[in-house]
Amino acid sequence: MRPGPAVALLAALAAAALLAHHLAAVGVVALLLFAVCLRAPAERRRFYLIGTLVSAGALFCLTPFIETIGSHPIWTGPIVPVLGQLDITHEELISAGVNALRLAAVGFAFAAYALLLDHDGLLQAVRFARPAALATRLMPTLERDAAGFLEALRGRGVEVNGVRGRAVLLSPLLASALERGLNLAEAMEARGYGRTGRTSVPRPRWRARDGVVIALAVAIVTAGVLWL
Amino acid sequence: MALARADRLTFTYPEAGAPALRDVSLEIEPGEVVAVLGPSGSGKSTLLRAFAGLVPHFHGGRFQGRVEVAGRDTRSVPPSELAGTVASVFQDPEEQIVLSLVIREVAFGLENVGTAPTKIVARAQEALAAVGSEHLADRAVAELSGGELQRVCLASAVALRPKLLLLDEPTSQLDPGAASAFLEHVAGLGIAVLVSDHRPRRVLEHADRVLFLDGGRVLLDAPVPAAKDWLGENRPIWLGAAANGRAAAQSERVCRLDGVQFAYRAGLPVVDNVDLELFRGEIVALAGANGTGKTTIAKLAAGLLTPDSGTAELHGRAGMLLQDPTRYCIRERADEEVAVGVRGDRARAGEALGALGLGGMEARHPRDLSSGERERLALASVFVIEPDLLVLDEPTRGVDPQRKAELADLLHADSERRATLVVTHDEDFAIAVADRSVLVGEETVLA
Repeated sequence: MRPGPAVALLAALAAAALLAHHLAAVGVVALLLFAVCLRAPAERRRFYLIGTLVSAGALFCLTPFIETIGSHPIWTGPIVPVLGQLDITHEELISAGVNALRLAAVGFAFAAYALLLDHDGLLQAVRFARPAALATRLMPTLERDAAGFLEALRGRGVEVNGVRGRAVLLSPLLASALERGLNLAEAMEARGYGRTGRTSVPRPRWRARDGVVIALAVAIVTAGVLWL
Repeated sequence: MALARADRLTFTYPEAGAPALRDVSLEIEPGEVVAVLGPSGSGKSTLLRAFAGLVPHFHGGRFQGRVEVAGRDTRSVPPSELAGTVASVFQDPEEQIVLSLVIREVAFGLENVGTAPTKIVARAQEALAAVGSEHLADRAVAELSGGELQRVCLASAVALRPKLLLLDEPTSQLDPGAASAFLEHVAGLGIAVLVSDHRPRRVLEHADRVLFLDGGRVLLDAPVPAAKDWLGENRPIWLGAAANGRAAAQSERVCRLDGVQFAYRAGLPVVDNVDLELFRGEIVALAGANGTGKTTIAKLAAGLLTPDSGTAELHGRAGMLLQDPTRYCIRERADEEVAVGVRGDRARAGEALGALGLGGMEARHPRDLSSGERERLALASVFVIEPDLLVLDEPTRGVDPQRKAELADLLHADSERRATLVVTHDEDFAIAVADRSVLVGEETVLA
């Protein structure tokens, strides 16, 4: 499949999740995207899946305390300054579930995009294709750098735990990215980047199944608006 | 007529105290393979960059004299315009890859120089085939090993059909067989090649002529036979190391891998049924072709990975040096970086820095150090914890023969205190340092 229709399909599924109102419908979309992510190598997908699941879980836990909807309380707690009376209603739990699954669906769609698609092909037609391709690779590169720093620390007998421990790595990660950027810029210039008269590899021909996928993407968004 | 020439070239990087190149004059004939040798910081990489036009266009600095390639003065022609006539392969393949698929990566340079669109893919495939990597065409670059990446980088350069090929340590991540094949291929291209390498023995087999630089000056410019005589007389260590002749004093076992299997992806074991024993007092070299799982075995021995099956025993504390020295640039000062493993004990860190020849550099930022100095900083960061098992993964990447000899001496100095495992492609270093070599085969470790 060409990367363009694949992105359209992922975007349509994420949009459908955002537009749908029924818990089951959003759940099915999130589950489908999760299954797609499982096609990526375990080592690489872990970072994306854990990040998405933790974010979605946090949203599910916080939403009932922030929203004030529904008339079927399940639990009533103390009065907290600013927030008022803490309570959890049946309706708030449903709403929290829908929002968490929406966030999960969007996160899984991004993970599938980052892990499984041919970004070069996708961005080939765009004028700023090369910078965009490099930007797309930034996350996986940072992820690999972070894993390398942690492994080097373990090799020195230092275990890094918790968010605070990992926060120490932010500055070296930024410095690594800048250093790599300079080296890459030099290599690109040596390979003729920026010269006039650039050509490009002919793009693959459009096939019937690419059209089918685009039609499916439109249908999914329409279904999200009208029935889900 | 010479293809390229440098005429009284003196170059100083911005904010550098001394010139990186001093009064360099030389000519390169079409089809000539020239080996550029010299210690770290001698100006080899700078010379290669001068012929690519990157010095001074990309780096800035003070440029005196003249460099010409194919009749074009590099001061008036930017590097992007020289691309195609000149092609470069730099030291670290990971820092020159632009795109995510191999075939697109090889095509990148061809697109930049305006190759007819219908010919780009065929030229890219031809270049991959020329370096024995046609099977990689549709692979993602993120999935390739360092050795495979180096071959993709060479294919990217060869695809341009340049007149002058500049190779800066092109075989640093290749096993001996692959490095020989790589250099043999380069020598057979029939184009002028300037190749810098810290494993000179193999390069000398394929070169026509040798340049030896030190302190930015050309000390030697001679055909290979005369150069070998000169090296034998003045820099014998560059012609290969002698076996250390040491009798290792083995005592208790520090590490044992028994029937170990490990897979990064389910069903695709990288190492399978591996047995290995390491004893206090011995230095063991772990060798084998690219992709046979040497690094994985080293990480299993050091406890950085847990085997999927089999037993990994470690008696005591392990310290492991990873391949990439930039992983040891977390803190703002060199001594703070080294002290990370010893709970901030800067006194011990200072001693370790001194032992690695970095005394006086305690306050320097790790990223301000040269690549050779960074390598030694990384070593100091692991040495300082005084491990019972010391594991070094390719510790001689980018290290010149003199420094390699010093490293071998350092490892020998108090080797009785620990077991040492050295993963290396560098046969000379393995001979110089190890008491025992272990060859990693397709499926098992053979002692």
